[in-house]
Amino acid sequence: MPKIIAIHSFRGGTGKSNTTANLACLLAQKGQRVGIVDTDIQSPGIHVLFNLDPREISCSLNDFLWGKCEIESAAYDVSKMIEPQTDGKLFLIPSSIRTGDIARVLHYGYDINLLKEGYQKLTERLSLDYLFIDTHPGLNEETLMSIAIADILLIILRPDQQDYQGTAVTVEVSRQLEVPGMFLIVNKVPDVFAHEELAVKVASTYQCEVAGVLPHADEMMTLASSGIFSMQYPDHAVSREMDKIIQRITG
Amino acid sequence: MKLSAAKIILIGCGLGIVYGLLNGFSNAFLLPSAPIISLRPQIALPMIVGIIGHPLAGFITGFTGNIIGDGISGFGFWKFWNWHIANGLMGLIPGLIRYRGITRIATVREFGILQVSIILACGIGVGFAVVMDVLFLHFMIFPSSLHAWILPAFLTDVVNGFVLVPVALVLTGAILITLETRTIMMITALLIIAVLATAGSITWAVLDDLVSHQAMVRNFYIAAIVSVLLLVIGFLASIVFVRKMTDPLTKITRAAESVEKGSYDLETLDGISGRNDELGRLARVFEQMAGKVLEREKKLQKQVEELQIKIDREKQIADVAEIVETEYFRSLKEKARKFRAS
Ligand SMILES: Nc1ncnc2c1ncn2[C@@H]1O[C@H](COP(=O)(O)OP(=O)(O)OP(=O)(O)O)[C@@H](O)[C@H]1O
Ligand SMILES: [Mg+2]
Repeated sequence: MPKIIAIHSFRGGTGKSNTTANLACLLAQKGQRVGIVDTDIQSPGIHVLFNLDPREISCSLNDFLWGKCEIESAAYDVSKMIEPQTDGKLFLIPSSIRTGDIARVLHYGYDINLLKEGYQKLTERLSLDYLFIDTHPGLNEETLMSIAIADILLIILRPDQQDYQGTAVTVEVSRQLEVPGMFLIVNKVPDVFAHEELAVKVASTYQCEVAGVLPHADEMMTLASSGIFSMQYPDHAVSREMDKIIQRITG
Repeated sequence: MKLSAAKIILIGCGLGIVYGLLNGFSNAFLLPSAPIISLRPQIALPMIVGIIGHPLAGFITGFTGNIIGDGISGFGFWKFWNWHIANGLMGLIPGLIRYRGITRIATVREFGILQVSIILACGIGVGFAVVMDVLFLHFMIFPSSLHAWILPAFLTDVVNGFVLVPVALVLTGAILITLETRTIMMITALLIIAVLATAGSITWAVLDDLVSHQAMVRNFYIAAIVSVLLLVIGFLASIVFVRKMTDPLTKITRAAESVEKGSYDLETLDGISGRNDELGRLARVFEQMAGKVLEREKKLQKQVEELQIKIDREKQIADVAEIVETEYFRSLKEKARKFRAS
């Protein structure tokens, strides 16, 4: 059975899209067939990391949800991002960035069964090993769907007070949704913090395993949201920690 | 160096033979008006053995070497036994600095102790030989022996030890080249050159007449005593000067190290930052910089300490309830269960 891994955070800008893209790339680099669905319909963004030109997107997740196309026609092969190239494959199912499309989905919503079927078809037809789901921050209905469907939920937080409170709510709600595997990832952690201690503290506060503590990387800024960090800086502490995260959540 | 008793004896005797052969050789060239005293640069050897090897090894080298040397020169193996012991003492005493915790010489203080121990060793060694002579042997006739034995032995040994031992210790690495040792050795070298140049030129000037004119011989040794005295006084003075110069630097270095370690021990700078010279300025600038670093560090530390994960549990429960107690959530939960069962 392919695994559905949802990445979520209570607040925005924690690094969901970034972490999703990197983990997916690293898995594909190891020879896996990996898909990414951008369910952040309100503010899609992950396509930017894969240098996917919006004009190339003739068919998006939105189109699938309205029955305008098959889910696999909304899947774009972005395996060229994998470095070095392996047998692995990487597909991205983007959300539409057109305001009309966005408003329409937000207004009518969509059905969880449809989404679930879509994921099933997608994983079958592209013979995926893993399907990553990038989400919109907060706990709106669509996001709750993604959590409900996931086999593994990765909740990202930054080490600051506002994130701590929201994460507590997210963790509890996800528990009630009986997600089989739940992990926390602490991101953008300043170097002065004792990372190990932070991991222990976070794990005990939320009674939830911490899959990794990612340091704040200035290089991430210079990359300016284009390109996949772990592919361009494979030896960076962030990339190495991401590798560990993969081992923890897949092993 | 930690050596076993057997090794100490072996090294002592082995180098004793070397020392003895050198003595036998140099005894062929006796000092003016001295019947058994020669200029012996090799006196540094037992001292070095004592310092680098072991004090007892130094003693054995000096002791056996003097026996061998006297034997070779036909003075008789045991006749001047008091001088054998005197040579042994000259090897033993400098080696005792290790019991003051000095194994490698890195500071002005340590270098000073080394050189003073060499002077003491010569004083005590020669003094011992003289006392033994007075008590038991009666070879010496005062005051003529003063010029014939005592002063020639003491003066040459002091100068040779003073100059050659540091050279050997630098070569073997027992003296570390630090700012402090470099400065004190440079000044010591200048001092030695100045004093010896004066003494040497006097010697040269009167050399022809030395043997024939007793009065001149006496003057020669008086000049030599004055030279050595100047050397010693100059040395002690330069220790004070160099320490005045290097102490602040050492303290600033220590303060820098304390910043590196994170203990911020800046009190050592108190006396220095008041100085009007470059070192005072350096200390002040350093204090300011360290202050800024400390401030930043404290700020960061505070941030880390503030890293207490506080969660308002009541608010959490209320927020969770607001979500999970909706009809939507209940049906979602049902559906999720079904997915997972299938
Ligand atoms: N470890 C890190 N070090 C430094 N910058 C980071 C790190 N992780 C993410 N960022 C930066 O943070 C910004 C937000 O990242 P990202 O878009 O992945 O967050 P997000 O959670 O998906 O945001 P949104 O909620 O808007 O979707 C990006 O500019 C990214 O480069
Ligand atoms: Mg995002």
